[in-house]
Amino acid sequence: MSDTALALRGIAKRFGVTEALSGASVVVRRGTLHAVLGENGAGKTTLMRIAFGMLQPDAGTVEIDGAPVSLSSSADAIRRGLGMVHQHFTLVPAMTAAENIALGGHGLFRVHEEAARVQALAERTGLGVDPSARIASLGVGAQQRVEILKALARDARTLIFDEPTAVLTPIESEELFSWLRRFVADGGTAVLVTHKLQEALSIADDVTVLRRGAAVLSAPAATLDVGAVVRALTGEERREDAAQPGRHATRSSRGARVASLDGATVLDARGIVRVHPATLDCFAGEIIGVAGVEGSGVHELIRLLAGRLTPSAGSATLPATIGFVPEDRLRDAVIEEFSLTENLALRSAAARTGRMPWAALHEQARAIVQGHDVRTPSVTTATGALSGGNQQKFVLGRELHDRPSLVVAENPVRGLDIRAAEHVLRELSDTADSGSAVVVYSGDIDDLLPMVDRMIVMFAGRLREVPVAHAAVAAAMVGAKMGAEPDALVGAT
Amino acid sequence: MSDVLGDFLQASVRTATPLALAAYGELVAERAGIINLGLEGSIIAGAFGALVGAGVGGVGAGFVVAALAGCAAAAVVAVVVLWLRANTIIAGTAVTMLALGLTGTLYRALYGAQGAALSVPTLGPQALPWVSSIPVLGRALFVQPVITYLLYGLGLGLWWWSTHTHAGLALRATGERPAAAFAAGISPARVQGWALLFGGAMGGLAGGVLVLAQVGTFSEGMSAGRGFIAIAIVVLGRWSPLGVAAAALLFGAASQLQYVFQSLGWPVPYQLFLALPYLLTLLALAGTQRRAAAPAWLGRALDDDAR
Repeated sequence: MSDTALALRGIAKRFGVTEALSGASVVVRRGTLHAVLGENGAGKTTLMRIAFGMLQPDAGTVEIDGAPVSLSSSADAIRRGLGMVHQHFTLVPAMTAAENIALGGHGLFRVHEEAARVQALAERTGLGVDPSARIASLGVGAQQRVEILKALARDARTLIFDEPTAVLTPIESEELFSWLRRFVADGGTAVLVTHKLQEALSIADDVTVLRRGAAVLSAPAATLDVGAVVRALTGEERREDAAQPGRHATRSSRGARVASLDGATVLDARGIVRVHPATLDCFAGEIIGVAGVEGSGVHELIRLLAGRLTPSAGSATLPATIGFVPEDRLRDAVIEEFSLTENLALRSAAARTGRMPWAALHEQARAIVQGHDVRTPSVTTATGALSGGNQQKFVLGRELHDRPSLVVAENPVRGLDIRAAEHVLRELSDTADSGSAVVVYSGDIDDLLPMVDRMIVMFAGRLREVPVAHAAVAAAMVGAKMGAEPDALVGAT
Repeated sequence: MSDVLGDFLQASVRTATPLALAAYGELVAERAGIINLGLEGSIIAGAFGALVGAGVGGVGAGFVVAALAGCAAAAVVAVVVLWLRANTIIAGTAVTMLALGLTGTLYRALYGAQGAALSVPTLGPQALPWVSSIPVLGRALFVQPVITYLLYGLGLGLWWWSTHTHAGLALRATGERPAAAFAAGISPARVQGWALLFGGAMGGLAGGVLVLAQVGTFSEGMSAGRGFIAIAIVVLGRWSPLGVAAAALLFGAASQLQYVFQSLGWPVPYQLFLALPYLLTLLALAGTQRRAAAPAWLGRALDDDAR
């Protein structure tokens, strides 16, 4: 038998005009734990979906146990001994663990036999799960164990984990890792897709780093140091590491404090800390950039500042007027079928009673359309008929219309073409110049760096202030500490 | 007095039979996540099919054609919803309207305006030996048409099937979380398709019962809202086969109360009792929503990339 459990060679995949993967290769040795690292959008998830047969590559080969295979569905991959533990579990909450594990079989389902089989498997593999417990009654850690058992029950020899620790508490993560080490020690193979650098280096045998759809580093973890991996992740080998001359260089003073967080903590519905006590001051005339990967608590921090979440401990002191541009425009900011005027009216709909002042609202909508260069036939046009860029300009205009003291924008240029993106960023910049405090989160830190005065990064629920420089931000996003950077800048102002 | 009670219970079971058949069909469809408002259409199509089938080949043929006709009505819903991806509520309502109109038109075209005089062979009550002599309950449960006995088996069979076979698991998983079913190699759309067809066949049989075991003839619109009552019965029965049986019996009893009161000579307008089952439906819906027993994905469309 080949000593390669899974190999992806020269994989290319294109979605429309976006090239997700351009000749990426990962070779996973049997009996090892292989970490695949990459920034947001580096192609990790796409590559693993291809390995598991959920997507078909445009070019390149997939090999399982040394033999080239053509996978047309995940069922194919499962038959060949692959298993995948998705970040979002594929379990039926209303059914028991045993029923979930049996799902997809044929013939009779013998409740007691299946429960005994799951029990035996759980004991043999050391994944403690009560077979007759309903999934909805289990914690996330136990649900993940059911997912793993589901794969193992189908004789998976190679397990792919997509960001398995994103939803786990630190203790649950530790348990998973020690289980993974035992699994590979017993001859199993595991692929761990993660953005957490320290985590990958400390438990993996081999590490592959993806950047912009290609593997840029592949080596045994023992031979790597944090700096080398960060350089591979961010592509900083050639770029100057010095702070960029962003907005902060051009500003001499800042205004009064507009908003502040003081030890503000956010717990999710399960009581898990999404934002550890965070302290931050926002000043008039200043732009704060925020970075962080999915699940780092950045989403919650933004909502905390926008007044959409109340801290479960600590305090958030916010101004009376806040403009908020949420990430998912069509879900959270506008109703596509409504006209521009109607969407404007929605902004303060909860506080309004009595007759709608339509004439005044039309007037305001026209002012926004003119003042913010929104290209639309009229203010009674359905918002969905506008281009994404014009919708975003309208949303921004609406939020800035009453000159809020604080503006919070979440991925404001996502999905926009270059011209619309520039327009939106310039407006945010002008807003700060006219005396508002501005907080901007973006998934692409290169958009952010030229326009901000300060940068904060969320990692694993912790807020950290970092220098306005690509390498420093990128390193902080994966939890690495760069040499030049002071450690405890949390809350520094 | 025991005779009045015995009559009442026997009639209740008789009235409950078509309701329970249709409700079992709807139960399976809803367990797969689909609310089939075309059920009423399947019942009337089944009633008409029973008339045609029984005229040609007797009672047995009548039931077979009834099931096929109900199935055909549900097949239209399945194609429109699962293949053309139209809205389930609208598709189901349209099929019901279409079937009501079509059967009425066909009936008049085939049997003429005087069709009411026409009658078909019917299925009389058949007493089961021994058990039918149990006091009161024996006559109610075991002096019934054969199809009612099939119904008892069907309730137990459905319960066993949904918990003891992999197909039953697939059905429940589809109604709870189709994406999870898909990840396990099940095609949620196919499961929903089969569930709809089964539901249609059951609705058709319910229509067959109306014609072949109760009225003895067809009349326009004779389904009289039973499809919608069956949907309420599924809710009241909390999506479990045995619960549905109990709920159907309750509805049967409620509909029979009017005759009891009439025979007792109470001066209560009979319309009040006609309204009783519907009133019961509203109360049931209002009272049972605290703890959700409904399939989690009920009434929601499938994801495009997990069908």
